Amino acid sequence: MATKSQSGRTGIDIEIDRYKIATYVVYAFGLAFFIFPVLWAISMSVRPRSAVISVPLQVIPNEFTLEVYRDVLANSDILRWVWNSLKIAVLEVAGILLFVTPAAYAFSRFQFKGKHLTLLGILLFQMISPVVIVIPLYNMMVEFGLMNTHIGLIALYIGLQMPFSIWLLKSYFDTIPKELDQSARIDGCNRLQTLWHVLLPSVMPGIAVVSIFNFVFSWAEFVMAFTILNDSSLFTIAMGVYSFQGQYSTDYRAIAAASVIAMIPLLVMFISLQRYFVSGLTEGAVKG
Amino acid sequence: MSLEAETGTDETRWAVGVNRARTALGRFKWLQDHPLTWILPALSILLLFRLYPLIEVFRMSFTDMSLLERTYSYVGFAQYVDVLTAPGFWTMARVTAIFVAVSVIAQLVLGMILALAIDYGVKEHIYGSVSTRVAVLSAWVIPGIVIGIIWQLMMIEAPYGVLNYFLTQMGFGIVSWLSDPQMALFSVIAANTWRGTAFSMIMLYAGLQQVPRQLYAAAKIDGASTFQRFRHVTLPQMKPVIFINLVLITIYTLNTFDMIISLTGGGPGRATQVLALFMYFKGFQSFNLGEAAAIAVLMLIVNVGMTLIYMRYLIDEEGV
Repeated sequence: MATKSQSGRTGIDIEIDRYKIATYVVYAFGLAFFIFPVLWAISMSVRPRSAVISVPLQVIPNEFTLEVYRDVLANSDILRWVWNSLKIAVLEVAGILLFVTPAAYAFSRFQFKGKHLTLLGILLFQMISPVVIVIPLYNMMVEFGLMNTHIGLIALYIGLQMPFSIWLLKSYFDTIPKELDQSARIDGCNRLQTLWHVLLPSVMPGIAVVSIFNFVFSWAEFVMAFTILNDSSLFTIAMGVYSFQGQYSTDYRAIAAASVIAMIPLLVMFISLQRYFVSGLTEGAVKG
Repeated sequence: MSLEAETGTDETRWAVGVNRARTALGRFKWLQDHPLTWILPALSILLLFRLYPLIEVFRMSFTDMSLLERTYSYVGFAQYVDVLTAPGFWTMARVTAIFVAVSVIAQLVLGMILALAIDYGVKEHIYGSVSTRVAVLSAWVIPGIVIGIIWQLMMIEAPYGVLNYFLTQMGFGIVSWLSDPQMALFSVIAANTWRGTAFSMIMLYAGLQQVPRQLYAAAKIDGASTFQRFRHVTLPQMKPVIFINLVLITIYTLNTFDMIISLTGGGPGRATQVLALFMYFKGFQSFNLGEAAAIAVLMLIVNVGMTLIYMRYLIDEEGV
């Protein structure tokens, strides 16, 4: 490191200092740009009514109150929306794991004709946005009588998230040496026992990443919920906050509070489970 | 397998039990050893919710299906002709092109700057590396609908809107972030960049970790400046990652729906009505499912085209 004594500074030391300063500048801008919108929503939601459209604006409110949260919780369906989203997300994750774990195991451990082609086909499905097929999916839900039901929405989510989840979990199975299954098979385990007792414990981080990503997806998804849910009592939180915005368009404080309620669970989850997110993003994205 | 072990009282009964269990399992052994047994449940879901709708969207695009009537007939390419000759389509195409191009470049450049800074910061133990990474990534977890809403809150077009407040403090006038057509497109791009940069940053950061350290050391010995090292070592080494990143963020941006619908709803007028909204409104507001399906097919072609480029590259590079 560069010392402050004048004689000790070499060209390289000065260069390092310059890059350190540049890094701090990038960090400062990055932090400000990415945190500010979230902080602003929070700041907006914790001020008294009189401080919402006051000029000059109080960036940090002089007075702190949670009264609008009380109003929003009491006068809207928001708790029900949070509960609906929680229920849908948990069931979606359970469903995904049930279908995807055996498939990912097979794609990692079996060699069979057409395997690569199937995997590429699944990758292609992953790349095609759900928005492209929303109209046929709508028709399907009408045919099945699943319009305006949570079952229908969960089924759609499982279908839409399956390609990504298979690729992601397969990449975790691939990291486990095949010798592990072989020694279990020699000890007399059949495939199901091998998967359950030997592989699953080792692939747990992958299961965690798949679960977290599916949870976040279900919580945040909008297009499908918007298309098949009509009944306000069945709304997911994303759908609910959107309808809330339409209904209380000028009550900025209430809208801010609803947004904070919708994003806080994900932010808390993200900050506490950060490393899973990072590994999922890089694994899932780079490889498929 | 000792299914009947507990009930067995003597050696023989125990052995019979074990044998019976063995044969029962043996009968299922061929099932267990067949990959289809494991894949079939997932595969049937994929065929039902992914493949069938894809075929269906093609079929629908050749009909005059409507949300209001049960009957329909096949009309050949009429829907495609209608879509491509309507003046609104080309306005939308222009808006979409600007939205995608500018967002993608902004996400890539910002993501690269952040990835380089964090890579350097982590190695030099600079304070704030983790916080910056967490801050950028948290934007990525927030639901798109909520992102649209909080940006709308910041962009209130009055002196008490926070962005306008900062601008007036700096001596500028009030900006019509969302009611001026050109500004609205800019605002949508800004919000989308805010949302998408995290993904580019994390991918490029992972890519930076793959660049062999010796290359930098060698370049340094040869007297290359930092910029030259970036230009001649980092960039060529990162080419595959940058390429994959470009393809992925283009696809994601092209399909953006939720954030725009809560930020501008596609307005003012149709100033921010990008492809996904255009298609959706055609189907569910104009009730014209056939025409919406034709637009979806065009969207699909762009999606698949980008994906094929991506897959070719993956196969060439890694031999997946």
